[in-house]
Amino acid sequence: MSENDNKLRYSVRGKKSRFFESDGVDELVSICMSIAQELWVVKEELALLKNLTLEKGLLTKKELENFKFTVKQKTELDNENKDFIDRVFFTLRESVESVDSNHDEPNPPPIP
Amino acid sequence: MTRYVQHGLKVKSKPDEIARQNFMLNMRSYVMLDMAMGMKKIYDNNIEPNFKKLNKRKPKNGDEIHKTIKKDTYFKFYSSIRCNAQEMVFRSVIPPIERSMIDLKKKAKKLSTSKKANGSLKIDKKLTIPKSVSALDVHLMPGCYHSEHSENDLTQGALYDNGVSVFSMGFFGEKLDDIGSSISLFIKKKYPKFKPVRILDLGCTVGHNTLPWNKVYPKAEIHAVDVGAPVLRYGHARAQSEGISVHFHQQNAEKTNFENNSFDLVFSSMFLHEVPKKGIKQIIREAKRLLKPGGLMLHMELPPNKMLDAYNSFYLDWDSYYNKEPYYKTFRDMIPEKVCSEAGFSKNKFVQFIIPSIGQFGEEEIIKSVNSQNGNVDDRTGRFTKGIHWYCFGSWK
Ligand SMILES: C[S@@+](CC[C@H](N)C(=O)[O-])C[C@H]1O[C@@H](n2cnc3c(N)ncnc32)[C@H](O)[C@@H]1O
Repeated sequence: MSENDNKLRYSVRGKKSRFFESDGVDELVSICMSIAQELWVVKEELALLKNLTLEKGLLTKKELENFKFTVKQKTELDNENKDFIDRVFFTLRESVESVDSNHDEPNPPPIP
Repeated sequence: MTRYVQHGLKVKSKPDEIARQNFMLNMRSYVMLDMAMGMKKIYDNNIEPNFKKLNKRKPKNGDEIHKTIKKDTYFKFYSSIRCNAQEMVFRSVIPPIERSMIDLKKKAKKLSTSKKANGSLKIDKKLTIPKSVSALDVHLMPGCYHSEHSENDLTQGALYDNGVSVFSMGFFGEKLDDIGSSISLFIKKKYPKFKPVRILDLGCTVGHNTLPWNKVYPKAEIHAVDVGAPVLRYGHARAQSEGISVHFHQQNAEKTNFENNSFDLVFSSMFLHEVPKKGIKQIIREAKRLLKPGGLMLHMELPPNKMLDAYNSFYLDWDSYYNKEPYYKTFRDMIPEKVCSEAGFSKNKFVQFIIPSIGQFGEEEIIKSVNSQNGNVDDRTGRFTKGIHWYCFGSWK
C-alpha cells in the first residue's frame, strides 16, 4: 500500500458464473459485449468530432477522404490497436492468468 | 464524471470513458427491461406450458422455475449478458477514479472541515470486517466495500458511487437517493406527529439514502454506520459537500456502541439482504435495544418471497445465484413479521409499506399512497422498471 500504488482491483474475486454447456460460449459473450462497447465508443467520439469540425467549418468532406497518416501517427495507432485487442479479448487472458497461482489478480488490460 | 455524481467528489471522465459508461447504462437497460420482458414471454409461452405437460401442475415456487429455465438458451444469454454488464459497469468507472485517487483524498480532507456542514467521521481501525463483506466481491464489485489501496483511502466509495450512477439507469434519481427521499416523505405524511430527534442509518455505504432524512426532519441529529472505512470516508466528504451534517461511524450494526433507548428512528436500505440470517436477527435485536420507546425501526428491502408469485420470486432470486449475493435468497425466504416479533417487537406494532418512487410518481402520489396501502406487491416492487415501488417493513417500539 503506497501513494503510488493507485490501482483499483479490476477482476471480481472468486468463480465466475457459467451458463453454456458448449465450451467457450461464455467467453464469447464477454468478447462480444466488449466489442460492442468499444464500437460504441468509436461512434460516440466520431459523432463528437464530426459535429465539432463541421460546426467550426474546419474540414470538408473531400479533405477527410484524402487524408494520410504520418509514420509516427500510424505507429501510435498500431499500439492503440494492440491495446484495443487486449481489452476486447481480456476474458481469455484473464482465464489464463487466473489458473496461474502466482497471480492473485490478472493484470488489467491497458485502458486509454 | 458519471451522470449522477455531481457533488464535490466528482471525478473527470474523458470522452471515450463517458461513451463506455453510456454504453453500459444502455446495455443494462437493454438486459433489465427488454431482455427481462423477453424472458417472461419465453416463460409464459414455452417453459410453463412444458412444465405443466410434464408435471400436471404449475411450478410451485421460484426454485422450481429456476431449475427448469436454466436449460433455456435465452435465459443463458440473459444471465451471461447481465453478469458481464455488471462487471463492465464497474470497469467503466475505474480509470477516472484511478487518475483521481490522490486528488479525491485531498478534496475529502478539505471537505471534512468545510463550514457548509458539521458532520463527523469515526474510523475504528480495529474493527473486524464480517466475512460476508471481506470474503467476496458483493454484486461483482471488485474489492467490495472495505478494501483500502493506501492510507485514508476512499476509492471503494468512489467506485460504489460512480458504479451505482451507471448501474441504476436513472431509477435512483439525480442524487441516487430516491429510496430515502420517497420513504422519508411517506413517513412524515403518514405519521405527522412523529418527529424524530435522533436518526440512525445502518449499513449506510456512502450515505445515498441517509441524507434525504435531513430534508424532512431538518432538526434531527443523523448518525450512520457501516463496516467499510473507504465508503464511510467518502460518504462523510459527500455529505459535507452537500451541506448536510451526518455523523458517520465505522461499526458493526450487529453490535454498536450507542446507548440503549437513544434513537427515535433506526433505518436501513438495501442492507439486510447482504447479511447472513444470524446477523439479520441480531441486527433487529440491536435496533430494538437502540430505539426509544415509541421509536420506529424501518428497513427498505426486496419484497419477501411469500408476497410474490413463483415467477417474480425466481426473477428476484437471480442475484442470489449469479450476482455474488449469497444471502439474498435466505433473507427473502424469511418472514418479516416473524423476524420482528422474534426480536421482541410486539406483533401489533409491525408495519410494512409499498411506496411509489418519488422520481417516477412525484410527491402527490406518495401522499395519496399514505391512505391507500393495499399490501399488494407486484412486478414493479423493488425492480428497476417503469412504475417502480419500494417495499419496507419494521416495527414501532
Ligand atoms: C448494499 S449496501 C447498502 C446501501 C445503502 N444503505 C444505500 O441505501 O445506499 C450494504 C452495506 O452494508 C454494509 N455492511 C454489511 N454488513 C454490515 C454490518 N454487519 N454492519 C454494518 N454494515 C454492514 C456494507 O459494507 C455495505 O456498505
